[in-house]
Amino acid sequence: MRRKPADVLRQFVALSRRSTLAIFRQPALVGPSLIFPLFFAALGSSSFSRAISLPGFPEVDSYLQFTLAGTVIQGVLFGSVTGAAALATDIEEGFFDRLLAAPTSRTSILFGRLAGSAVFGAMQALVFLLALLPFGVTVEAGVLGYVSIVVAGFVIAFAVGALMSVVALKTGSAEAVQGTFPVLFILLFLSSAFFPRETMSGAYRRVADFNPISYMVEGQRSLSLDGISLVAMSQTLVIPLTLAVLTTMLALRQLSVRLAAR
Amino acid sequence: MNSAPIIAEQLARHFGEVKAVDGINLTVNQGEIFGFLGPNGAGKSTAVRMLTTLLRPTSGTARVAGFDVVKQADEVRRNIGVALQDSAIDPLMTGFELLELQAVLYGIPSNKMKQRAEDLLERVGLTAAADRRVSTYSGGMRRRLDLALSLIHAPVVLFLDEPTTGLDPMSRLTLWEEVRRLNREGTTVMLTTQYLEEADQLADRIAIIDHGRIVREGKPSDLKRTVGDPTLLINVSRQHSDAAKAVLARFGDMRPTAEGTLGVGLKGGAERVAEVVRALDEAKIVVEHLELNQPSLDDVFAEATGHRLEGADNAPQAG
Repeated sequence: MRRKPADVLRQFVALSRRSTLAIFRQPALVGPSLIFPLFFAALGSSSFSRAISLPGFPEVDSYLQFTLAGTVIQGVLFGSVTGAAALATDIEEGFFDRLLAAPTSRTSILFGRLAGSAVFGAMQALVFLLALLPFGVTVEAGVLGYVSIVVAGFVIAFAVGALMSVVALKTGSAEAVQGTFPVLFILLFLSSAFFPRETMSGAYRRVADFNPISYMVEGQRSLSLDGISLVAMSQTLVIPLTLAVLTTMLALRQLSVRLAAR
Repeated sequence: MNSAPIIAEQLARHFGEVKAVDGINLTVNQGEIFGFLGPNGAGKSTAVRMLTTLLRPTSGTARVAGFDVVKQADEVRRNIGVALQDSAIDPLMTGFELLELQAVLYGIPSNKMKQRAEDLLERVGLTAAADRRVSTYSGGMRRRLDLALSLIHAPVVLFLDEPTTGLDPMSRLTLWEEVRRLNREGTTVMLTTQYLEEADQLADRIAIIDHGRIVREGKPSDLKRTVGDPTLLINVSRQHSDAAKAVLARFGDMRPTAEGTLGVGLKGGAERVAEVVRALDEAKIVVEHLELNQPSLDDVFAEATGHRLEGADNAPQAG
């Protein structure tokens, strides 16, 4: 029996609501992914204030202005682990079985979880933009720039959430998902999130050149420092969207593998 | 075609070399409460997971509510209610929110959802706790909510996997009463349990499962009758154990018992107890404790499997 699209949509909305509520009902879990990026931004601002005069650094009023994009991406990357860990917890504790025992659309289970992460990612981006506003950190591209960065937060969280969901679906272990956190951390530091690629050299530079996080950060940074441009918009939105498509395909494949193995 | 709500034929599930369920045949009739009795690891939950479409059989077939559990899994899901022992309830949501979510999953129209959720909360006595997060619920409240969740779409067949494990006696009684009420209203119930009393009290028929195979099946009263004689249990000191065994063996077949206790199926029943006591006295055996038990499901279990049901003696007694 095929499910009606309207029923599938209703299930997706209900499961998305559940995962979004879960995020906002666990302040101890989500707090760090809001606070730490701002803490890093403050720390960087005081420690690297003179780094902005290095050759290769763009012209900026402050390091804080430069690091806005890195702060947004950092927060969203870390926050998106939460949703995948929740999916693993559902598997571990049997809520996943409860959903499977009902005539639930299997993809809704996955997309419902990812929607929660994505909403949180957008909210994080908005919080960081607003939190840094009183310190003179603005987005040169105006309203469209602000909206693009928030939308990017949504899409990046979805993409990374899908990638982490592969781990959740493969292992069914929240600990395994949390264990991938250092990988994200390393990837972030091997990108241009905190320093421009122009200031890097050797292997560090080569890794940063291949790291998609570099391009996402630079897109947002360009919107923030230079204003609107086709390249900046593409980097801000198209790269995350492409990643989201790829990681979602991987997650759906892993979901099929998990269901087939039952 | 047989129209029974649950039919399993040679249903098996193997995990590598382990035959968790080893080719069971089962028919549960309309309006029955069917008890699946066995110790932990006997295959009860694996069987239920296959019948509820959560696990694919390695071989054999099963039809539930008239549909094949593999080929028509979604139709089976629409017609059954499932409350699994190890299926957690999201602690971050309220009882009402969970019922709403469950209603959406089963396609209940939005305009009927609220009323249905409220009715079920009232039914299981959780109206006052409806807007509290599940993390604040006691074990008994969670089980009652679990039952309500499984009833959201008024299923024709209800699966309850170890519904009272870990509950206090009062909560067990409340849940039993609710299961009986549902059954009176026409719901066919299949419940798994490791508690003899639960199977005895609730089930119209039971199947005893051990090492993945059904070893006995029938009405509890009929099964108990097949064991026949009551069991005489005695405790003696260790040095008298062999001598006591020899005396008891003259009065019937020795039966498996807990360690430190000797049991015999007493031929001739209660009238022969005095005779046994005299024989033990003549053999200079000091009896520390003696009791005569009428045949129970545990005796049926012991007779069928050669061992007592693990944990049966530890089950909290209700009533």
